[in-house]
Amino acid sequence: MDFTLSIQQKQVRRMARQFAKTELADIAKEIDEEGRFPWEVVEKMGPLNFFGMQAPRKYGGAELDTISYCLVIEEISRVCAAMGLTVAVHNSVVVYPLSRFGSDEQKAKFLPSLASGEKIGAFCLTEPNAGSDAMAIESTAISEGDSYIVNANKIFVTNGGVADTLIIFASVNPRDVKKGFSALLVERGTPGFEIGLLENNCGVRANPVSSIVLTDCRIPKTNLLGREGEGFKIAMAALDTGRIGIAAQAVGIGQAALDASLKYAKERIQFRLPIARQQAIQMMLADMGTMVEAARLLTLQAAHIRDQQGDLSGPSAMAKLFAARTASKVASMGVQIHGGYGYSKDYPIERYFRDARVTEIYEGTNEIQQIVIARELLKRGED
Amino acid sequence: MNIIVCIKQVVAGDQVKIDPLTHTLVRSAENSVINPFDLFALNMAGHLKKLYSSSITAVTMGPKISEEVLWEALAMGADRAILLSDPRFATSDTLATSYVLGMGIRKIGQFDLILCGMRTTDSDTAQVGPQLAEELDIPHVTNVEKLERKKNLFLVERLSDGYREILEVSAPALFTISPKAATRFPSLIEIQDAHARHSIESWGLEEIEADPTKVGRAGSHTWVEELIPITREKFCDFIQGDPKQQAKSLFSKLFEKNLLS
Repeated sequence: MDFTLSIQQKQVRRMARQFAKTELADIAKEIDEEGRFPWEVVEKMGPLNFFGMQAPRKYGGAELDTISYCLVIEEISRVCAAMGLTVAVHNSVVVYPLSRFGSDEQKAKFLPSLASGEKIGAFCLTEPNAGSDAMAIESTAISEGDSYIVNANKIFVTNGGVADTLIIFASVNPRDVKKGFSALLVERGTPGFEIGLLENNCGVRANPVSSIVLTDCRIPKTNLLGREGEGFKIAMAALDTGRIGIAAQAVGIGQAALDASLKYAKERIQFRLPIARQQAIQMMLADMGTMVEAARLLTLQAAHIRDQQGDLSGPSAMAKLFAARTASKVASMGVQIHGGYGYSKDYPIERYFRDARVTEIYEGTNEIQQIVIARELLKRGED
Repeated sequence: MNIIVCIKQVVAGDQVKIDPLTHTLVRSAENSVINPFDLFALNMAGHLKKLYSSSITAVTMGPKISEEVLWEALAMGADRAILLSDPRFATSDTLATSYVLGMGIRKIGQFDLILCGMRTTDSDTAQVGPQLAEELDIPHVTNVEKLERKKNLFLVERLSDGYREILEVSAPALFTISPKAATRFPSLIEIQDAHARHSIESWGLEEIEADPTKVGRAGSHTWVEELIPITREKFCDFIQGDPKQQAKSLFSKLFEKNLLS
């Protein structure tokens, strides 16, 4: 068992770290406050292949191993969780399922512009009455000649406000949603396609989360991803990978909260000493460091299992559950270390605190991860 | 055109620690990065490679972990990477370093151009570039912002004390590149390709036929006697009075400190 990153993986991490420091550190606070998607940074990320990490080389992607992928997401999220989210979602629940389940024609048509970052991807599963219960979707795709007529009301779509290429889940069989559950590739601008209002969210505010409404939208049958009825399988495969990305994002937020707390604890003087000299603070820092490291190891282990083509559902759910809880807990402890200043917008810790919270909710709530984990544990035979 | 780029691994600016016993920087794989000034030289080399068909060889002297900066160079477009590494090279000053680099470059053979960063972020002498040019007996220009090839000459532009100097220099020559020149990050694909296509060559003292008395501590004419960290203290002085008195008081304070010329 070797826990050392390869020279190549370290180089990837160094590049992502330097990029985030140079291009995102100075604007992270401002784009959070304004809820602004930083196109100027996206334009610089494209040529560096950040949007093609999960795409094959043939289509302009970098075809990165999953460990390197996690290192990149962690480093970007450590500086700006909203952009970490943009890249994670684009790669793991759009580029990846398209690369795995798409036909050669679909890949040739959609992947190059996604891999270059010229177009942004989004994944539309959640609806007003279907979240954790994905099978409750009401969106329909009714066959008509060589097209589907799609009606869908999708909400909380990450990247929704800027996405050009979207994977939309709808049923081709409204009488039997399960049987008809299908994935469709939809392009922004198709008649009947509408971007709803942007969410005014608590955290990851620079990501334009929105609703997406399709009204009698005619989608050619050539845009069906996989086969009719394969949508659930595609969604779950995408989410297994997606959860590793969100785990990496959570590790990045947790690390940022730890970094900020270490810095503050050394600077803040109370009772004539830096508060870092107080055992009460040291104990918090020790727990924070331990939790972040454990979350990172679970995340990288899940990434390793994915690279070895192992069974991913359990490990990725465990990584996501633990890393999300860690990010929330560590950011909250960070606020405590900062005291009153931690509650003010003058310090970044309050942003980490807000950003961390949603990692326990999206791409499967903690409770959904627990269901997945329990199912995997109970399925296992005795040794 | 054969281009050689000399680079160095340094301790990242925000992670400098000094060993109290040896007075040297504490280096580890975790706290080391490519000298940020060298990125401008690498990028200039990549730019020239696109303009004139060229090959780029990156060279560094240092312990084995310095390989990491050579991988940076390979990702930025270098075609070959050479690590000059030998325990006897340790604690070389700038003169001994430029001798080792010079002997390494002699072994590489024919070249048209050597590019260096203007200085390093750790020792900050800006001496190795010019000393290497002297070692190899070739002309050099420092702080170069623009560079083009004109037959057997290089046309270079440098900034100096408020003047823009344009010089013609005969090849082969050495230039240190201004941190005002362009730089960029290597892409993920470039990093993957570098590792898939290249390897690092490592040469020790014997391979470059260096004189052991001219390298390391023995070959160094300068050494660090002591390193004393500087503590910067800031004081805040509130000036009292009405605005007129405040202005008068501020003026006299600045005047006393010679801050008004």
